Amino acid sequence: MSNISAFSVPMYSVNMADMETETPTPMPEEEEPLFSNLDLFLFTLIIGLFIYWFMSRKKPDPIPEFKKLETASTPTTRDTSFIEKMKKTGKNVIVFYGSQTGTAEEFANRLSKDAQRYGMKGMAADPEEYEMAELSRLGEIENSLAIFCMATYGEGDPTDNAQDLYDWLQENDDEDFSGLNYTVFGLGNKTYEHYNAMGKYVDKRLEELGAKRIFDLGLGDDDGNVEEDFISWREQFWPAVCEHFGVEPLGDDSSIRQYELKEYPDINASKVYTGEIGRLKSFEVQKPPFDSKNPFLASVTVNRRLNKAGDRHLMHLELDITGSKIRYESGDHVAVFPTNDTALVNKLGKILEVDLDVVISLNNLDDESNKKHPFPCPTTYRTALTHYLDITHPPRTNVLYEMAQYASDPKDQENMRKMASSSPEGKALYQNWVLDASRNILAILEDMPSLRPPIDHLCELLPRLQARYYSIASSSKVHPNSIHICAVVVEYKTKTGRTNKGVATTWLKNKQITDNGHKSTVPMFIRKSQFRLPFKATNPVIMIGPGTGIAPFMGFIQERAWLKEQAKEVGETVMFFGCRHKNEDYLYQEELEEAEKTGVLTQLNVAFSRDQEHKVYVQHLLKKSKEHLWKLIHTNNAHIYICGDARNMARDVQTAFYEIAEEMGGMTRTQSTDYVKKLMAKGRYSQDVWS
Amino acid sequence: MDTTSVSNGAVPAYEVKEENLSPEDLSEMLAAGTKQVHEKAENTQFVKDFLKGRIRKELFKLGAVALYYTYKAMEEEIERNKDHPHFAPLYFPAELHRHTALARDLEYFYGPEWQSQVHCSESTQCYVDRIHQVGQEDPVLLVAHAYTRYMGDLSGGQVLKKVAQRALKLPPTGEGLEFYHFDAIHSAKAFKQLYRSRMNELELDMETKKRVVAEAVKAFTFNMEVFDELEEIGKTIQEEVLDAGMPVHGEMGGDISKCPYYAAKMAASGGTTYACQMAMAMLRHPTGQVLFATWFAVLAGLAAWYLM
Repeated sequence: MSNISAFSVPMYSVNMADMETETPTPMPEEEEPLFSNLDLFLFTLIIGLFIYWFMSRKKPDPIPEFKKLETASTPTTRDTSFIEKMKKTGKNVIVFYGSQTGTAEEFANRLSKDAQRYGMKGMAADPEEYEMAELSRLGEIENSLAIFCMATYGEGDPTDNAQDLYDWLQENDDEDFSGLNYTVFGLGNKTYEHYNAMGKYVDKRLEELGAKRIFDLGLGDDDGNVEEDFISWREQFWPAVCEHFGVEPLGDDSSIRQYELKEYPDINASKVYTGEIGRLKSFEVQKPPFDSKNPFLASVTVNRRLNKAGDRHLMHLELDITGSKIRYESGDHVAVFPTNDTALVNKLGKILEVDLDVVISLNNLDDESNKKHPFPCPTTYRTALTHYLDITHPPRTNVLYEMAQYASDPKDQENMRKMASSSPEGKALYQNWVLDASRNILAILEDMPSLRPPIDHLCELLPRLQARYYSIASSSKVHPNSIHICAVVVEYKTKTGRTNKGVATTWLKNKQITDNGHKSTVPMFIRKSQFRLPFKATNPVIMIGPGTGIAPFMGFIQERAWLKEQAKEVGETVMFFGCRHKNEDYLYQEELEEAEKTGVLTQLNVAFSRDQEHKVYVQHLLKKSKEHLWKLIHTNNAHIYICGDARNMARDVQTAFYEIAEEMGGMTRTQSTDYVKKLMAKGRYSQDVWS
Repeated sequence: MDTTSVSNGAVPAYEVKEENLSPEDLSEMLAAGTKQVHEKAENTQFVKDFLKGRIRKELFKLGAVALYYTYKAMEEEIERNKDHPHFAPLYFPAELHRHTALARDLEYFYGPEWQSQVHCSESTQCYVDRIHQVGQEDPVLLVAHAYTRYMGDLSGGQVLKKVAQRALKLPPTGEGLEFYHFDAIHSAKAFKQLYRSRMNELELDMETKKRVVAEAVKAFTFNMEVFDELEEIGKTIQEEVLDAGMPVHGEMGGDISKCPYYAAKMAASGGTTYACQMAMAMLRHPTGQVLFATWFAVLAGLAAWYLM
């Protein structure tokens, strides 16, 4: 503005008022009665600009609302003392960020904003702009806390703006950090070797220097979902902080709520959600394309028990996708949207003494948020608890913390809060009473009779019911319109004597076959995987899939058979399967033996773990075939596929391959590990495993 | 963890030196053969600035335009060669193809008439021509181009997405960045492994593999030329936008033509036509409108006074 040379031109100090009243101000009337157009234009423009400038001086325009404490704008004060700044502005929480691409900075901003909800005042700070040596002085501020959001860059390095902090931490030994309360959240990426090195370093180093860790190091994985990691960590962090400082969350109950309850006693039924995942009525009127937001209702055409005996229930289902235009490939996953057990939902309604069939809506109090409701609204509590909310997993600590206020017994309240805190006793109590005992929300309500939260708050706190994924057990070449599932029903007795059942597997088990009278449907969609047969049929494949891990290989075997029928030359197809007893749970025995007979399977190896004194698993059979396998892998370019249990089986099988490489290829353990790692990188060793 | 070598007399100890340092797998040859040029590309000014969040919206948009023409050409040639034995194993249209996503991004940036507003720059055209050439004359070399772009998009490309979202304040719902979002790929890591296995399934002699690697290096070079071109354009935009200042400026969105100071500067450097442009620019700005109204009122007052 000051550039516009309004003031270098001699001007008449005219103001609007004067002009409008008739007092003639001395207007230079020379030989030309009128100014030239350009003169007039410039003249009045200058006046206008002056008036505008004048007016804007009087009323300074408000800077666009900075609701967030985004100190992204350069600080006008040259103050590099964050202690002084905190004292001056009454802050007790400071969130430093080591950020390269802005994610850590964003998290830092969100955390500093959060502080308010818990009766504290926070600010985000760039360590590059402050004198970090002041960290040892943080104790001067009462109830102070330093949070560090540290991203790791490159080969385990600090981000540019955290370089100085890093250097300083390394060099300084003699400061007294006992007054410093801190927590660290690290941002990294698991595909890199030095995963979260910076976060881990800061967390460890501050402890070494004598500072007090208030909450566990959080690790965000950008290869997975760093946002989710952050949110989960944050949800447990704040309750722990409140516990530590003995601080109560600000204000009355409703200020902690994110959503506001609204009831709809007279609403038209056509406007109410009855379990749809996406668009209203999308389960009545189905429109392709079908995906996670718009699942297809596939009817169940087959649902049979796979095992001949034993107390588990293994099942084979077939879903009809005719007319859906859905395409899949063997190795892909089918995702299904299950519903909770009706009895469980009813019990919840009873114990909370509510009418589950009122139509309600939970509306976000934050207008700016993209998430208007926690689940599709308006709907009934019954629908929410059945279709939209997870009521079977043990609740997380933040849920306990927020519900504590509803326990009328002070001892119960104390225990709830304790379990949400980061104290060792609290953690142990939570581990013991909630996790080890597998208590779900109903169990907690039953075992803590004084705890009676309002159902709407509970609905706000419970996580969403997730879709479940199953490896497809069919080949689209052979079954283009049918998707097969192989699964085992999850059911177990808990320490409290209750029986917990898996949501999706129980729901699938109870799906009746569609026949003339009755139509049973499963809302589903396909998630493409990268678990694929080789492009060339001549490539040998080695498949290892004990138990329900056999699923994708049924698809692979069907496809190899189909290729053979097309008179294609098909390479060796080797199967390693394992189960407990030959006469009980040898899944797909007929199909597998048939495939062996017709030569589709060039080798079928089955381990029956409990049919003899000592345990026999697939990895033992692998070792038995080491010569043949080594030839296929090292010479014939075989692709290896593993499917099933991640924790033990996958690891044991990998070890077996190391041993084979060592014994047959003369390698050391290091070399064999490298060899297998290379096979993985080149896509010749694929895993579809679950824990 | 390191056990002693389990080798009996019959099995020779595993010789790392000989067997694996000159790999025959195309995926390994490509990785090794492009390592140097990849580093070079990472170190161009344009990319370095981008990674630091120093990317102006106008440049980002032009970058998206360049990508659009590139991928349109590449995916056309891929479609043409989808059954060709030298490309078929790598045909993953649902997982990889980007030109539709790019079209959506361009619509977001330029509006519904984007097609008539964008054009293919010189460097991009060179790249596009080469892609069409190999697609039609020597399809195996198409592998090199697909490798260079798609593998990159699934790796560092994901980092660029986050940077761009933050730096350009793009909505969290993903508009403007659909290029970076591979809807049908659940795990980039697993997909890259699959892609590598497919590259290695191509039946090629060593001579051809070497040619593919050489073409990949060429592809990197084409990309760098596009970066350099963008960098040059960036220099001409730089001055005006950074100097721009009017009180209560608000977010202009990097659109230079809207900046009155830019127009004013143009006016200073010559011509009354620019005064008009400046006036028009001022009129579009709300304070300009206030000024105009003020001026008009004053003018009316003057005229009234004079005429009375």
